[in-house]
Amino acid sequence: MKNRAIEKHFNLLDYALSSLWRRKLKNMGIITVFAVVIFLVASFQILTSSLTETAERMLAQTPEIVIQKMSAGRQESIPLAYLDRLDGIFGIRAAVPRVWGYYFDETSGANYTVMAADRSLMPEGKNLEMAIEGDFPAAGQGEAALGREVAANLKLAGRRTFSLFRPDLSLKSFRVSGIFAESTDLLTADLIVTGLDEGRDLFAIPENLATDLLLYVANPGEISTIAKKIAARLPDTRVLTRPQIHKTYKVVFGWRSGFASICLLTALAAFAILAWDKASGLSAEEKREIGILKILGWQTADILVLRFWESLAVSGLAFLGGCTAAYLHILFLEGSLFRPVLLGWSVIHPSLKIVPVFAAGDLLLIFTLSVLPYLAATVIPAWRGSTIPPDAAIK
Amino acid sequence: MIIELQSVNKVYNLGQPNEVQALFDINLVIEENSMVCLRGASGSGKSTLLAIIGCVFPATSGRAAVAGKQLARLPDRFMTIHRRRTIGFIFQQFNILPNLTVLDNIALPLLPLGISPDERRQRAAELIERLGIGHRRDFPAGQVSGGELQRVAIARALINNQPIILADEPTAHLDTTLSHDFMGIMVELKNAGKTIVIASHDPLVTEHPDMDRIIDVRDGRIDVS
Ligand SMILES: Nc1ncnc2c1ncn2[C@@H]1O[C@H](COP(=O)(O)OP(=O)(O)OP(=O)(O)O)[C@@H](O)[C@H]1O
Ligand SMILES: [Mg+2]
Repeated sequence: MKNRAIEKHFNLLDYALSSLWRRKLKNMGIITVFAVVIFLVASFQILTSSLTETAERMLAQTPEIVIQKMSAGRQESIPLAYLDRLDGIFGIRAAVPRVWGYYFDETSGANYTVMAADRSLMPEGKNLEMAIEGDFPAAGQGEAALGREVAANLKLAGRRTFSLFRPDLSLKSFRVSGIFAESTDLLTADLIVTGLDEGRDLFAIPENLATDLLLYVANPGEISTIAKKIAARLPDTRVLTRPQIHKTYKVVFGWRSGFASICLLTALAAFAILAWDKASGLSAEEKREIGILKILGWQTADILVLRFWESLAVSGLAFLGGCTAAYLHILFLEGSLFRPVLLGWSVIHPSLKIVPVFAAGDLLLIFTLSVLPYLAATVIPAWRGSTIPPDAAIK
Repeated sequence: MIIELQSVNKVYNLGQPNEVQALFDINLVIEENSMVCLRGASGSGKSTLLAIIGCVFPATSGRAAVAGKQLARLPDRFMTIHRRRTIGFIFQQFNILPNLTVLDNIALPLLPLGISPDERRQRAAELIERLGIGHRRDFPAGQVSGGELQRVAIARALINNQPIILADEPTAHLDTTLSHDFMGIMVELKNAGKTIVIASHDPLVTEHPDMDRIIDVRDGRIDVS
């Protein structure tokens, strides 16, 4: 004899699917709405994960320690003489003065980040160089490497030179040495990298000053010890360490994604309530069907299993559809719907190539927040409805 | 005897303001392979009595035994199992799902029994042919005529080869010819060995020559005639 219990479940599944099919219009509607909500939440989750990962990969290349001069609680230029006062602190591999700031381009209305430091002094210059398609700007030659968005905004169109205004509105011209690779967009889209002297010239910063000092440490384990020693020697500075920068970045990014997550979860919750509402008020037709099935010898449990298969099919299809659409949206459209939310609304925002990161945890979370409530919202009322005595059907 | 009721009472909504006693002290024995009729006016308690015999709900008090099983305090689950093994119920309003095909409606009781689709189809198709509605097999049940619908209901009551057939006012929606046909089928079933209980006040049924016994139900009591 075949296993009756297993065959019974196939029968119930079969019946569930065919009764969904009989009400296909209504069920397609539910699946579509549900899938759209899941698509929103899933795109968002995947995008957040992907961006976080990209950002972390890029941040791994930043210097271990940044020293800023502080005055009256605000940052100001730091004298190069401070470099000498670091002499004798062990573990510092390199110390590089840097000029950086924002340049507002009136023509395009965009802000660029200008970073000026001499590559020869920077141990991670090699890394930066690898991120550039072309050459790293040679110090003192009036060269610059541009982020992709900057290059687009300046409308270079093959030209190798461009000019920016000094504070006194005189023009400083640059020659393009290279363009940053697309894969680094998140950090480099709005970036102009040039030599230290060129940066000083552009912002009219005196010879003996820089914006901040970058320190490279031989042993990452010593970062905080060295940072403390520096802080003691240079009491009028703020010493930022890479772990701290990571944290700040994460907080800002996390806040944004958290905020948007809440909006989306609200949408999901609204859907759950809708589903609940729909499901808890069993229609007269559904009640009649349950009554008939019961009087024909279906157990309460059979009806629950039937309902379970129906809901699982609806929410499972919506889940698969929504997640697949989200994945494709990010793979092919690069998450264009949500990038502004996560990356800010600045005119320039990275157009980086995002490789979808499909974290099992994210999927599980979405599953827990969508399929499970839907199952509960449909099976529980059916359970209440199916415990009515079967004689209701003979009335 | 296949059905035996002793001092059966049925009270609806027991202990509530709308409490109604529908059956009073019913004592009744029905022999196997007989065809009996429950006759009585509207509201007399025929359907209630049929439901107790049919294991739809238990009596409020008294003892009821159907096909060798005491129903008193049988948990709902087991009552259902016993019902689907022993009782084929033909309802007055047929209780057909209009969106399902005739065949699927008839096979409906077999699904929770774990019977394979092939076997279900085969069993249902056999009955459909026997009852002469083969040409309606794949029609949605909502699109067939009243007489055909009743044959669907009969086929469904027979699908699990239950020994007892209960019918509640089966001819209420049928014209004379169809009522005759119905009784013809019942006689056939009786000859095939089934026990048949029909609740009706239709003379075509109650005065049918093959009827073994008439039980009069009046205000929830039966007259021992
Ligand atoms: N579910 C119920 N709740 C409360 N009272 C009920 C219920 N079902 C039946 N009754 C009452 O029990 C009594 C017997 O009803 P029943 O349906 O058994 O009679 P009947 O002989 O089948 O009548 P009819 O010919 O109208 O079908 C009636 O007074 C009816 O109002
Ligand atoms: Mg009745």
